Amino acid sequence: MRLAVIAMFCLASLTKAQDVTFFESKVLPVLKKRCFECHSHEQKIKGGLALDSKSGWEKGGESGPSIAPGRPEASLLIQAISHVEKDLKMPPKKMLPLAEIELLTEWVRQGAPDPRVGTKTTELAVDDAWEVEFQKRLDWWSLKPMRRSTSGSVDGFINASQMAAGLQMAPPASPEVLRRRLSFVLTGLPPLDMSDPSDYVETLLNSPHFGEHFARHWMDVVRYTDTYGYEWDNPAKGSHEYRDYLIRAFNDDIGFDQLLREHLAGDLLPKQRIHTKAQTNESLIGPMFYHMGEHRHGSSLMFNGIHQEMVNNKIDAFSKAFLATTVACARCHDHKLEAVSQHDYYALAAMFTTPRWTTRVIDAPGKNDVAIARLKELREAIRQDLATLWARPFESSKLQTWATAHTDALKGIGAPLATPADLPKLAATWQKSREAAQKTNLAFKPASLEKWVIEGDGFKHGETDDGTPLIALEGESVVARLLPSGWHSHALSPKLPGSLRMPPQHVVSGKFVSLNLAGGEFGGHLVVDDHAFQNETVAFYTNAEPQWKSFADAELKNGAQQVTVEFCTAALNPNFPPRTGLAKGLKNNDFGHDKRSWLSITGIVTHDAGGTPQDELDVFTGLYQTNAANDPWERIATWINAAVRHWCEQKAQSGDREVLDWLLANALLPNKAEPGSKLDQLVTEYRRVESTIAFPRTVNSMDEREVMPAKYPLNVRGNVDTTGELVAPASLKMLAGDRITSRLDLAESLLHPEHPLTARVYVNRVWQWIFGTGLVATPDDFGRLGDKPSHPELLDWLAREFIREGWSTKKLVRRLVMSQTFRQSSVVTDAARERDPANRLLHHYPTRRLEAEAIRDSLLVVSGRLDPQLYGRPILPYRTAEDDKKRLFTGPLDGHDRRSIYLQMSIMDPPKFLVGFNLPDLKLPTGRRDVTNVPSQALILLNDPFVNAMAKHWAGELMKQDDTNEETRLRDMFERTLGREPHASEVKRWLSALDDFGGDTPVAWERLAHAFFNAKEFIYYR
Amino acid sequence: MFTHDHRLCSRRHVLASASAGFGMLALRAMAGVPLHNRAKAKNIIFCFMDGGPSHVDTFDPKPMLKKHEGKAIGEGAVTKRSQSNANRVWMGSPWEFKQRGQSGLWVSDLFPHIAQVADHLCVVRSMVGELPLHGQQNLLLHTGRILGQAPSLGAWVSYGLGTENRNLPGYVVLNNDWVPNGGLENFGSSFLPASHQATMVRAKGMPVDNIVPHDAAAIQRRKLTLLAEQDAEFAASSSDARAIEGAIANYETAFLMQSAVPSIADINNEPAHIRQMYGVDSTDEHQRFYATQALRARRLVEAGVRFVEITCPSFDGNNSPWDQHGLLKQNHEKNARITDQSVAALISDLDQRGLLDETIVLWAGEMGRTPHTPKVSATAGRDHHVNGYSIFMAGGGFKGGMTFGETDDFGNAVASNPLNIHDVHATLLHQMGIDHERLVFRHGGRDQRLTDVHGRVVTELLA
Repeated sequence: MRLAVIAMFCLASLTKAQDVTFFESKVLPVLKKRCFECHSHEQKIKGGLALDSKSGWEKGGESGPSIAPGRPEASLLIQAISHVEKDLKMPPKKMLPLAEIELLTEWVRQGAPDPRVGTKTTELAVDDAWEVEFQKRLDWWSLKPMRRSTSGSVDGFINASQMAAGLQMAPPASPEVLRRRLSFVLTGLPPLDMSDPSDYVETLLNSPHFGEHFARHWMDVVRYTDTYGYEWDNPAKGSHEYRDYLIRAFNDDIGFDQLLREHLAGDLLPKQRIHTKAQTNESLIGPMFYHMGEHRHGSSLMFNGIHQEMVNNKIDAFSKAFLATTVACARCHDHKLEAVSQHDYYALAAMFTTPRWTTRVIDAPGKNDVAIARLKELREAIRQDLATLWARPFESSKLQTWATAHTDALKGIGAPLATPADLPKLAATWQKSREAAQKTNLAFKPASLEKWVIEGDGFKHGETDDGTPLIALEGESVVARLLPSGWHSHALSPKLPGSLRMPPQHVVSGKFVSLNLAGGEFGGHLVVDDHAFQNETVAFYTNAEPQWKSFADAELKNGAQQVTVEFCTAALNPNFPPRTGLAKGLKNNDFGHDKRSWLSITGIVTHDAGGTPQDELDVFTGLYQTNAANDPWERIATWINAAVRHWCEQKAQSGDREVLDWLLANALLPNKAEPGSKLDQLVTEYRRVESTIAFPRTVNSMDEREVMPAKYPLNVRGNVDTTGELVAPASLKMLAGDRITSRLDLAESLLHPEHPLTARVYVNRVWQWIFGTGLVATPDDFGRLGDKPSHPELLDWLAREFIREGWSTKKLVRRLVMSQTFRQSSVVTDAARERDPANRLLHHYPTRRLEAEAIRDSLLVVSGRLDPQLYGRPILPYRTAEDDKKRLFTGPLDGHDRRSIYLQMSIMDPPKFLVGFNLPDLKLPTGRRDVTNVPSQALILLNDPFVNAMAKHWAGELMKQDDTNEETRLRDMFERTLGREPHASEVKRWLSALDDFGGDTPVAWERLAHAFFNAKEFIYYR
Repeated sequence: MFTHDHRLCSRRHVLASASAGFGMLALRAMAGVPLHNRAKAKNIIFCFMDGGPSHVDTFDPKPMLKKHEGKAIGEGAVTKRSQSNANRVWMGSPWEFKQRGQSGLWVSDLFPHIAQVADHLCVVRSMVGELPLHGQQNLLLHTGRILGQAPSLGAWVSYGLGTENRNLPGYVVLNNDWVPNGGLENFGSSFLPASHQATMVRAKGMPVDNIVPHDAAAIQRRKLTLLAEQDAEFAASSSDARAIEGAIANYETAFLMQSAVPSIADINNEPAHIRQMYGVDSTDEHQRFYATQALRARRLVEAGVRFVEITCPSFDGNNSPWDQHGLLKQNHEKNARITDQSVAALISDLDQRGLLDETIVLWAGEMGRTPHTPKVSATAGRDHHVNGYSIFMAGGGFKGGMTFGETDDFGNAVASNPLNIHDVHATLLHQMGIDHERLVFRHGGRDQRLTDVHGRVVTELLA
């Protein structure tokens, strides 16, 4: 279609006319006839664009200036009338005659001469137009202050609404119905204990399963996923830590205010919340919230649009989860219905793209301090012991004998030793090479590390002096090698993680930055193009000796504002494991946990021309730059002995370490501890202490240290190729957020006790979790497309009470489940059905189908298989087909008997059993799940091997109780599956079926058990 | 996603069925919406060439490529709609093109079998996509949106027309153990009722999950009788009888599906000459899978399934089957060996049975491939390209033996009559008797369409 336009421009070669005449006689009539109907003050100003004055088109409409004088190809007006962009066709229905398009094009080409200066004085600026509309839109229930009621109760408000409709509550539910209801509502499990303690609610609230169940509710809201989907379904690093964090938080009843702070700005909180038992920094886990959802690989430097799409998902999730507002609708234009401008959208984009989206260590600070301090002590003690051991000087004759026998080994330290007779000539060569290197190196400036950020104990405790011994963790050697000065993540233990985060490349001085790097076991670097959420420019090092690597400033295009590089060990690499095939040596079924990954950085320089620093050959200084003996071997011995002596006296000079390392590698220095010696004890103790260090726990989170606030280019009409003004970070204007510039302030602003949305939205979610439908039936949309609250006063009262009680979820839940409203039966009268068929007035407790997880978990509970263990890495779901390239492997049929929350939530292929019963789309926030009724659900319960395996197991358990009769056993089955006693007719019905299934035999009981799993009552509660 | 409007719609359904109970509701779901215009076709079989077959090696001959092979394409040939830069070089096709059949339609030697049914093919050479990326283009091709989050074409057809066979789903994907880029969302129902999402039928092993009864028929029947009594009581005493009754009714449908689905999937009783024609007994495992699925596709449309999609098998761990960034010659040939014979057989078989008139066979990838490459060599490949690529339709009222639209002399950019996916969607629906502007579902505050706000019925393609 573009071609057609270009062709049109070529055709449009009109002769020039006198500007004014041309405009008035030709252009204006066309504008009047074709455009004014929708774009003039006398009629309408659609899209904010008026064409009845020059300033009108200069200012343009919502999409910006409409004409670029002289440049028709860059003018929106010409694009619009040419019908090239499918989203921008004017007039919308019928294209103008070609001659008129050509005319207007030519007019613009001539510079759009327009004599109508100042003819309109009553113009309504576009901004003003939006302002008027904006003010109108603020008049909406959910943006108004919460009401204040002096007193109230759930039942009071509900009763009042019922009374007004001439209705009343249903009678109270029977104890057994209530028990089953409470159990599913509070824990997502059937009653585990059939006895009915008076404080059943407290028992359930204190059960660890409460946290699991409520965490799962919240996981829907934040689009929880264990993988990033798209083409390769890469693991989402640390997502399960976030899931476990939620479970702990709901069980510990951490206030929702704190959770919100942590979700939005946990990394910025002045006081981080440490979980003493889990030994985790909980606050740092919160921002994993942003990382959920699908991540596309690659970056906008390759294909424009990638980070923009990802950012859209983040804004959507944030605004729906916490504000029940559809801000993502304002990506292309001001919101069609809400008080949300396109500017608001891009201000949030700027706020969310300011921090680095990267991996953080969530181990409680100081978790390893004792071990680390001890390792440092032991290392020093070992060093001292070795210094004594190594202090004995080498004799030149012995060196000569050794050298004759090991000519090959000599190459390791370079040619000079191999031909000692040529010393003078070599000295000259050395001097020349050294001077050349020094001259070259003048071009390389040591980088200022002011804005560089490090993460992880590996680097925090990994800065070493030249020659620090790296203690061998296995084998006979004491020392693996002597480390050059620099940072070594593995200096104490390769289990310690480390990451060095560079400032944006274009901010680092010089056109290039070069680092001297070594690493192994998936230590390497990741180039981060702006907010490429899953960039694949990842490299893993396999060199033990440092090598220089250069990174040139990148061309910033496609809206990318910066490129940075992170040098990191596997645990701190946000894209490790990367897609299959990118990390050589990593098996496809290796999910990248617990790697002894390491990284050394021994130099960082900046420079303007290519190339890398040269070795200045310090190692030979002691050999050539000396007045020592003329006998070459004497000289060599002096050189080596001086180096060793320096090291032993802790006065090592540049180059000494290389000499010692060479001696070590060639077994010329003792490197074994005598059994039982002090050195032996020290090494053994070092290894023992090292073994007590746990592998790090890390999560994709945020790091805002040393970053500049981003400005995000507004995408005109949402088109990523048409960028408008750069928008600075801010919150939504409708929430008076224009002066909020940081995520922390954003969080605090939402927690203001008078905030009209935060508490209402959350309280409404909890209401829905307890009653099935929210007071606002659309939990993610409190706007004009959402429903209005059924009980606005109740919602406000609950929200205020919730805040007053410290944002406590458990207190809120207790208040709801203790109400008569919750405790009524599900009996519905004809009158109630007639007057309020949707039960918005809560005249009975609804009949609810179990959620997918509760169905699967019930099968495990009833059959006696449930493993109640909490937390842990995701368990692969059972699959009948595998795809190892995408890491879609099958897991055990029974999921190790664990609750469904622990099954791996893969965006590409989520657990099929759960999908069958409406597990939500893992990419998008889902405030309320679908409840569908489709035949495949019947097929699952009838034929799925998991369901049948559970029936078989349960029957086996039943058969073990041999002191019982058929009826008692049947009664027990009713209790376990349906939570009630059977009626006499039911006993008869089921025993008769048992007869037909084969009488009192294992297989017949299995069939009966299986029939229970298929009873509708099993997957519903009321 | 449970949304406001979705719920409204449910309410509408509920009201419609309130007087007649569940049976009416089921009937309504089967019947679909009233036809908007006279239908030419009843079914669609979509042969999805996942990964993007090269247009300049199949249906769009470009002798200029051979002539200028190895020459740099230059800045003027660089576009956002393909993986391109000025230093890349043109590369001629390794396959020869010939005019085929009475129509003289150009088909390359890559597809010897499809070449034989050339007179049935309506080839569009001027498809234009949005982004040269698999995920986005797959979702665009299937859902009409590069971000997805909308129902698949098959789900819309099923929703719009209902099913002719209540024991079978309206939309079936004959899958070959490969999830295309963009994920299962390509086959989803999104905001349409869940019953319209694709049912996956695998080539290998058990065709459909949980379709084989766990119990002997008599035992299962006895269980169902027991449950019918038990559940009826539960429903009667429940405040939401309708949902429970729906769940009960599902058991009857499920019971019937257990026999209907496997019997359709079972091709063992197909006569030898038919099996041979499709290549069901090929020595190549992947061809065997594809042929089996192609033959099942015919059986499914015969049985009244509205929309059948066949995906390609992945054979070398590539990103997607037709995605030959390297080894174009070797692996395009392998893909052709897997699919060519079966696709041609499907068209001939439908034709011989008089079913081609009412069945549209759509053959399309999500993109074409660049006519240029970084360096010409025996192992060279072609990269992503959406700026003019080829697809074809056969049967169902499409004009056979014709081509529509053009790319430039190098096959590098569309030159005339550009079509987008929405136009194809609109035209397919049109042939099925549906006006794409009127097949709507209220969601997110507006009437959603497969074609969003785009699409035109391309009458030039129709007989």
